[in-house]
Amino acid sequence: MAAAAAAPTRAEVLSLFRSFLRTAKQFSDYNIREYTRRRAADAFRENRALADSPAANAAFAEGKKQLEVAKRQAVVYSLYAPKAKNVMELKVQ
Amino acid sequence: MAMAAARRALLAHLRVPVARPLAAEAAAAGTVPAARRLLSSTTEDTKGSFLDKDEVADRVVSVVKNFQKVEPSKVTHTAHFQKDLGLDSLDTVEVVMAFEEEFGFEIPDNEAEKIDSIKTAVNFIASHPQAK
Repeated sequence: MAAAAAAPTRAEVLSLFRSFLRTAKQFSDYNIREYTRRRAADAFRENRALADSPAANAAFAEGKKQLEVAKRQAVVYSLYAPKAKNVMELKVQ
Repeated sequence: MAMAAARRALLAHLRVPVARPLAAEAAAAGTVPAARRLLSSTTEDTKGSFLDKDEVADRVVSVVKNFQKVEPSKVTHTAHFQKDLGLDSLDTVEVVMAFEEEFGFEIPDNEAEKIDSIKTAVNFIASHPQAK
């Protein structure tokens, strides 16, 4: 319980953020890939002031939960990958 | 009969030089270089080769310049992400991920933490055999 109560370290938070970005990259659909990346970056910025408080713990736990959601969704979406590329992915001639 | 046999023998003899260069050509053009290419690509993949440091530096700089929050004119070969470019630790994580994408290999957490400037990034990538 004591370990669970301790606030997440800086390295742990950055590692969670990195895991989000890695998971985001797995989405084959451009929109969802970018959304996941953007959403993760926004949420981590939103909660950056929460250093060393119970709220930081809650946010960290929520983040871990959401990471699992993202990982599951990456698998589901891989089964329904778009057949055509998004216009944003095309190289400018 | 003897004439026909002689002609057949002659034709058989004549056909050989035509067929031989073709086969040799096919072997030279197709199988041998393909095998060599396959061999070299496997050794490159497994053993890897180090990239030229100047090339790495140029690519690292262009990746950082393309990063949304960075002022391209501020990016130099010695810039520090947080002190010179005004990036925070979350931005740094994103930049390091962009390096992974550019150079096609995964940077583990403990190494990624140490990358905090263009210089450390270049040194790490140039010393990494799997960087492409």
